[in-house]
Amino acid sequence: MVDPLNASQKIAAAGLDVQSHRMRVIAENMANAQSTANTPGGDPYARKTIVFSNDFDEVLGTNVIGVEQIGTDSTPFRVERNPGHPAADADGNVKYPNVNMLVEMADMREANRSYEANLQMMKQSRAMVMSTVDLLRSS
Amino acid sequence: MIDQILPALGIGQSSPVQGDTTMRSASAAAVSEPGTDFSSMLARMAGDTVDSLKQAEAVSVAGIKDKATVQQVVETLMAAEQQLQTAIAVRDKVVSAYMEVSRMAI
Repeated sequence: MVDPLNASQKIAAAGLDVQSHRMRVIAENMANAQSTANTPGGDPYARKTIVFSNDFDEVLGTNVIGVEQIGTDSTPFRVERNPGHPAADADGNVKYPNVNMLVEMADMREANRSYEANLQMMKQSRAMVMSTVDLLRSS
Repeated sequence: MIDQILPALGIGQSSPVQGDTTMRSASAAAVSEPGTDFSSMLARMAGDTVDSLKQAEAVSVAGIKDKATVQQVVETLMAAEQQLQTAIAVRDKVVSAYMEVSRMAI
C-alpha cells in the first residue's frame, strides 16, 4: 500500500512536470510567432498544442497526469500581402503562423498558476508528513 | 532484538497481574512471526532509507549533467530527506527505548 500523502506528492510532481512541458510548448509558439516559410508559398510555423492524459500508475495505485501528445493547431494561417518577402506566393501573399500572442500569454499565466498550485500541494502534503513524524520527536 | 531481550528480563513471562497483560503477550507472540519481527522491520526501513538516499544522489548528479529536470531532482531529494528524517526519529525512539530498558531497576 502506498502512503496517500506520498502518493499526493508524486501526483503533484507529475503535475509540475506536465506544466513545464506546457510551458515549453508555449515558449516555442511565442518564439515562432513570426516564423514564415523559406520557400515561396510554403506553410509557416503551425501553432503547437499540448494534450494531457490521465493514466493509471500501477506503482502508486492512482491516476497520474502525463503528456498525451503534442499536436499542431489546424486553424488557418494569417495571410498578409507582402510581395517582397521570400515566402510570398505568386499573388504576393505571405502566410504567417496561426499564433495569437494574447492567447499564448493567457496560456502562459495559466500554466504558471497551475504550477504554483501543484507546488503548494507538494508543500502542504510534505508539511503534513513532517508534522506527523515530529510526533515521535517531541516527547 | 527487543523480543529476545524482553523474555531474558522476564517481562514477557511475568504472571498476569492486570487483565490486559495477557493481551499484550498475545500480541507479542503475533509480532514474532518469522520475517515480520521488529528487528527485520527496522532493517528493512534502514535499507529503504539508504536506497532512497542513493537514488537522490544519482538523480542529483543527473541533474548537474542536465539529464534530469529540476522537478525530478527536488522531488527525489525531498523524498530522501523525508525518509531520512523518519528514520532518524525512529532511531532516536529505539535508542531511548534501549536506554529505558538499561536503566531499569532490577
